[in-house]
Amino acid sequence: MDAIPKHLIPAWLWAVLAVAAMVLALALALTERRREPGPALLYDVSPYEAVDPAKVLFREAKRISLNLDAPTALCVRGDGTILVAGQDAVLVLDSSGGEKGRIAVEGAPDCLAEGPDGRLYLGMRTRIAVHDPHGTHLQSWQDLGPRAWITSIVADEQHVFAADAGNKVICRFDISGNLLNRIGERDPERDIPGLVVPSPYIDVLLDPGGGLWVVNPGRLGFEHYRADGSLASSWYRPGIELDGFSGCCNPIHAVFRSDASLVTVEKGINRVKVYSPDTTLLGVVATPEMIGTLAEAAASFQEEALVRDVAVDSEDRVLVLHGPRRELLIFEERAPKN
Amino acid sequence: MDSRDKIDRREFIRAAAVLAAGGGAWMAARPDAEGMVWQIDPAKCIQCGRCATNCVLNPSAVKCVHTYEICGYCDLCSGYLQPGAKARDTGAENELCPVGALKRKFIEEPFYEYTVDEERCFGCAKCVKGCGQFGNGSLHLQIKRDLCVNCNECSIARNCPSDAIRRVPARRGYLFKQWVSGEESEG
Ligand code: SF4
Ligand code: SF4
Ligand code: SF4
Repeated sequence: MDAIPKHLIPAWLWAVLAVAAMVLALALALTERRREPGPALLYDVSPYEAVDPAKVLFREAKRISLNLDAPTALCVRGDGTILVAGQDAVLVLDSSGGEKGRIAVEGAPDCLAEGPDGRLYLGMRTRIAVHDPHGTHLQSWQDLGPRAWITSIVADEQHVFAADAGNKVICRFDISGNLLNRIGERDPERDIPGLVVPSPYIDVLLDPGGGLWVVNPGRLGFEHYRADGSLASSWYRPGIELDGFSGCCNPIHAVFRSDASLVTVEKGINRVKVYSPDTTLLGVVATPEMIGTLAEAAASFQEEALVRDVAVDSEDRVLVLHGPRRELLIFEERAPKN
Repeated sequence: MDSRDKIDRREFIRAAAVLAAGGGAWMAARPDAEGMVWQIDPAKCIQCGRCATNCVLNPSAVKCVHTYEICGYCDLCSGYLQPGAKARDTGAENELCPVGALKRKFIEEPFYEYTVDEERCFGCAKCVKGCGQFGNGSLHLQIKRDLCVNCNECSIARNCPSDAIRRVPARRGYLFKQWVSGEESEG
């Protein structure tokens, strides 16, 4: 029987195979790729962010860049002046956005409003600071306690209403700062469901007839109260579709136009919409694409809502305060198509 | 000494060797008091879903955890319900979690409590994304210290698109979200 050859595979071939194996191992180690999560594991709400262009009733008429850190709140005064609050200052702008001056404040007001007499009310977390029409600080009202978080103020001739998101209540003051009553607290005997406030947003607003409306964000809708705190009416519209309010707590801001149509701002799906007085959705003021999609907000680690406040001017244009961009976006209604 | 003795001794030595190797591996895997372990920084996580598929363990050592102080106990929980859910109930067709690991319990009108069934959860982050995008962000992901084998190089960290996984001291091995600052904090 023939002896088996000692070197069936020559040494050089062994060496080549060894090098090839090492290269392969190295390539596998360096290019390790694991399974990508499939569609069932992905959370995608982008289909709900798409808006039919026919439903967009407004167009962006102006974009004003703000020389202000961390803008937080917005109001339009009776004379057309625009006030924008931010870190340590309230910017005073003319109606076309030119800076007329600034009011120095300590910290950042969470909200601000003008009374019919021109006085300014600034929400400073747990208390209201009152300034004269020129911006001079007059007084600070009583502290509402450590849990208080004043997120919205409105004022009429006799009253100042402050939404306290921390205590889940609307405080009604007289114009001297005396607390008259608390509105919106759960009271089954008066059929008041109670304000549900999962995150620090409640808005309070007056309709053109002077009626007091309160956003109940956790119930995804609005409640209309009388001054004595009794509930006149309510409407809720939970739903991610265009005519609803999405997520767990929306809308975050709202304002009435002169024709009593209601402008609403949502977070999450960042959209600004307008409803008729009978609560029918009329259309869209600003789409998520204009304000910022969820994907864009996530990529820039924006945890706070992108829109910090909304207001309406004397021409019924809608002013949207964009926080991260430090911009004021002004939307005007497109001419109705015949 | 008979052959039985020899076998016993051989088996003993083999068992000791196995024990030593296993113990060594266990010691290497087990973070000692001064060691460092891998953990997810919830402030950086973008809920890409790879925590479910990239861990060397199956199911993943990553689980959803819940900071109740931050939770709004919402009826319309965007971490629990599908975005377009028609009903707000426990019907499987309405649930967002692909394995039904998030549980909903009625507390009082209109509040619901949400808990994570850790055995079912495999860290896909779907609920975390829903909660963060529409809610308060109380749900978040963490690498469970009792499950993780603390690989030299975390296989998820290597593929994490936002560098959200980093080494933290083993003594404080979690980065739970906390209410106080609204930021995460080492737990
Ligand atoms: S891989 Fe990174 S970004 Fe993706 S879910 Fe895990 S920690 Fe979050
Ligand atoms: S959705 Fe994913 S991360 Fe959330 S509980 Fe279910 S399996 Fe866990
Ligand atoms: S270190 Fe290893 S076991 Fe732990 S999470 Fe990362 S891949 Fe999974």
